Amino acid sequence: MSVINYANRVIDFKIVYYGPGMAGKTANLHYIHRCLPNANRGNMISLATGDDRTIYFDFLPVSALTVRGFQTRFQLYTVPGQVQYNATRRLVLRGADGLVFVADSQFDRLRENVESFRNLEANLREYDSTLDEIPYVLQYNKRDLPNLAPVTYLEFVLNRRATRVPCFEASAIGGQGVFDTLNTVSRMALASEFGVGREKRDEAS
Amino acid sequence: MKPRNTVIQEQDSARIREILTHFLRESSAAEALLIDRGGQLVAMEGAAPALDAVSISALAAAAFSSTAAMAQLLGEPEFSVLFHEGSKRSMHVSTVDEDAILLAIFDERTTVGMVRLFAAEASRSVGVVLGEARARPKPSAEFAAPLNDAESRVAWTPPS
Repeated sequence: MSVINYANRVIDFKIVYYGPGMAGKTANLHYIHRCLPNANRGNMISLATGDDRTIYFDFLPVSALTVRGFQTRFQLYTVPGQVQYNATRRLVLRGADGLVFVADSQFDRLRENVESFRNLEANLREYDSTLDEIPYVLQYNKRDLPNLAPVTYLEFVLNRRATRVPCFEASAIGGQGVFDTLNTVSRMALASEFGVGREKRDEAS
Repeated sequence: MKPRNTVIQEQDSARIREILTHFLRESSAAEALLIDRGGQLVAMEGAAPALDAVSISALAAAAFSSTAAMAQLLGEPEFSVLFHEGSKRSMHVSTVDEDAILLAIFDERTTVGMVRLFAAEASRSVGVVLGEARARPKPSAEFAAPLNDAESRVAWTPPS
């Protein structure tokens, strides 16, 4: 969860990119890392296998605006999407202040998206948490590929909880939708610390 | 268990700094990092300017979480210490409480035994400070009002 430090006037947030294997979670972080100036980002760390599949997580710290005298910093993580890495996926999820669910828009990946979303909910339950308590957005990635499921269909399958959340079409490899996603989930995480958002979360916990 | 938010007030920070400074002096370790188990750096002392403390915090929390998960597979509640020995510098990570760990970096000027001895003492003291910080009502001054439009504007701009 967020760390608010009055001594150095900093608020740190943790944002986790979740989703099935090969959906483009790491591609999101690579694009952000490539585009942000050094002053706004730290080193990117990727714990990956020899064939570039995430085995534990990717990590990229980025800094943002100063709000009410506090510098805001966001630590971006990805989880390993492959089914067999659920134990590490659950560990990375610990303490998340915001989530991005990166879905693969291809028709033949719909089942993996649904299973990964259910896995996200199950892993949150391990921390006595739910998606009602953590700000999250959906990203429908790979919109540059053929055999795409329509966004309305993806919405019907993945964005069907009581409160619908923001969703973004993306092609993370080329950057489309990457910053819209990041800015929105960061803003939601930040807003949850202040005013009504904070009260609601406190009640939930 | 649900992870808890951490709000470090200035008086907490001063007490943590005092404890970590004492720990470094007694153990002769070079750097001490107090890390939230989610991977966020809470405080550090003695850190060399070149140390990428943010990345080390994320990796150390992950490594410690992994060993905790392995411990549970062996029927242990947790391995309370994680030790990595290098040719010049070594790393000792130990439990503070359910939400934090203490990482010490040291070299040939001391031994893992000394670090372990004083890390246990420092962890107990820091744990008390963190416990009090978490039990205190959350600050309201800066956080009472919702963000206005200017405060919640877009944070990063993609390249044009």
